[in-house]
Amino acid sequence: MVHITVKLNVSLRKYRSSLKINEEMPILIPSDTTLAELLEHILQIPAEEVAIHMVNGIKSDMDRILVEGDKVAFWPPVAGG
Amino acid sequence: MSKRSESYGYMGVILRINLSSGAITREPLDMTLAEKVIGGRGLASYLLCHEIDPAIEPLSPDNPLIFATGPLTGSGAPATSRYVVVCKAPLTGTIACSNSGGFFGPELKFAGYDVLIIEGESPDPVYIWIDDDKVEIRPAGSLWGQFPVATEVEIKQATHPSAKVASIGPGGEKLSLLAGIVNDNYRLAARSGVGALMGKKKLKAIAVHGSESVTLHDPEQFWKATMDMHKKITNDPISFGSFRAYGTASLVNLINEMGAFPTRNFQSDTFEGAADTSGEALIQSVLKRNRACFACPISCTRVSEVTAGPFKGRGEGPEYESVWALGALCGVSDLAAVTKANFLCSEYGIDTISTGATIACAMELFESGVLSEQEIGFPLKFGDAAAMVRAVIMTGDREGFGDILADGSYRLAQRYGHPECFMGSKRLEMSAYSPRVFQGMALQYATSNRGACHVRGNTVAAELYGIPRYMPPEVMEQKEEMVRRPFQNSTAFVDSTGICLFTKFAITHREICALLAPATGIDFSFDRSIEQGDRIWNIERMFNLKAGFTRADDILPERVCEPSPDGPRAGSRALLQKNLDTYYQLRGWDEMGRPTAIKLKELGLEDWWGVCGS
Repeated sequence: MVHITVKLNVSLRKYRSSLKINEEMPILIPSDTTLAELLEHILQIPAEEVAIHMVNGIKSDMDRILVEGDKVAFWPPVAGG
Repeated sequence: MSKRSESYGYMGVILRINLSSGAITREPLDMTLAEKVIGGRGLASYLLCHEIDPAIEPLSPDNPLIFATGPLTGSGAPATSRYVVVCKAPLTGTIACSNSGGFFGPELKFAGYDVLIIEGESPDPVYIWIDDDKVEIRPAGSLWGQFPVATEVEIKQATHPSAKVASIGPGGEKLSLLAGIVNDNYRLAARSGVGALMGKKKLKAIAVHGSESVTLHDPEQFWKATMDMHKKITNDPISFGSFRAYGTASLVNLINEMGAFPTRNFQSDTFEGAADTSGEALIQSVLKRNRACFACPISCTRVSEVTAGPFKGRGEGPEYESVWALGALCGVSDLAAVTKANFLCSEYGIDTISTGATIACAMELFESGVLSEQEIGFPLKFGDAAAMVRAVIMTGDREGFGDILADGSYRLAQRYGHPECFMGSKRLEMSAYSPRVFQGMALQYATSNRGACHVRGNTVAAELYGIPRYMPPEVMEQKEEMVRRPFQNSTAFVDSTGICLFTKFAITHREICALLAPATGIDFSFDRSIEQGDRIWNIERMFNLKAGFTRADDILPERVCEPSPDGPRAGSRALLQKNLDTYYQLRGWDEMGRPTAIKLKELGLEDWWGVCGS
């Protein structure tokens, strides 16, 4: 098992409504869990609602395997000017 | 003259008002120019180059203030609200092109004009009243000193209840180089100091009322294209979903998570107070409702209010850039204070980005001991929300130390012997995307024709959202072509049509061309739109070269060329020099950044060295 943290941003916070803005949620996940598995199986968030996913501040592939201490963050489609 | 010549999409008339002589004249719009430089930014930049010697002093009476619309402005297609203000920029000395939405631009067309050129300067405060054919220069003594909202109320009472008003606040009156032009109460053509030139002309406001509509060449095809575009925008998760529901400030946490959110005058790229000033926090605390510009389904404007406390007030915003400049850049995490400062900037009619950046620069000079409490009048420390708000008021009033702040951070840093504390390029302050992280933005900031600005080519679309395709922010390869063509040239084209840049997340040039052709009857093909964007960029570049800018001005502050000190991308830095030579080559410029004779011929600008006053 590995310890990671997850942030759900903007509209995705509805899936954990007790989370505060930008709050890190600590989670214990099985070793060799990918970002995609975290999202759909553990967090049970539909992938189509997520536009941007980062691990430790870097945009990452969904097949990335998460390791101890990783900081994961998900966003719906957002943009600015 | 007849108001309308054989022009569709365009009204066919340039209105010229000389405030020195009082002369009011109308000229036909040369429709061959429409094919060459479209309208809006392209047309006004072309006209400016033929009106003045770019070497003149920006606050000279010879510097005209050109308001220009595009062929789509007021057409009724989605988000076609935009107009531009072009002149030689008081803040930077480069060409200025500030852009705004709302309802003023469409109304100018409904009154029968594509372009309004204001020349000379009045000895006393005046405002201009345009009611279709009737054009008057009226005294504005009682309006001088008033905020834009009050100005608009008084002018509507004196003219027409449906008049649309563009005015300056006290910032512009006092020739603040941070001053913009405010239309529809809260919207600013903000950057480059265009409001200072309006103040120098003693022109408090322009009020317009029109009773015409834009005549279309092929209305049936135009409305078909309009419906297609409307569908694309309202189905788009960013243009319709994100902008509408969460606003641009939803980017705060995202850019901060990346370690690309410039903080405390670019001394860091992560801000510990980001969550407190995020778009989500804004929705929970100050947002009241949304508001739309002319014909816009997106409705991204935030109507907001701070209901209690020392920062009580109401207005619109703050948007992402304003939240950042008045927040993280000053180390301030109090959203009520940031919102209040944003309201104050609208009231004084000053640019939130440059104002926040100038205060941040002063905060750094204060903390490093260069500026004393005695000079400023109070301690101006990073993170002090009340001091930041106080500094905004002083800047707007040019009161005390605010007299120095009102001229921007370039002059502030120079004055106190620390030019390295100016965080911009060509005297314009950078925006809310760290060039240490976004290598495309680094090149964009350095080469942007109006100085370091994000909306001249916002490569974050590619470097983060993957529009038109994803290019990791740290990658250098192929960024030169990305900056040049799909961003700088493309934006020059979009800004010239009258449509809002925020549609570009949902639609491409092809959809815009599909509107332009039936609107105007002119063959606006995709390939031509790229060529037109390139031509407009080169026209602006030629103006700057004639104004004395060189390759040596295509630079970034030393600070961002050094490693980022902290955050997830600690150690990253802007690697501009590696890109610049390739960028020049792709542009068809020589090693000094000057368009070659071959390039000018390709763009149909071969006689251009003979224009621009030489």
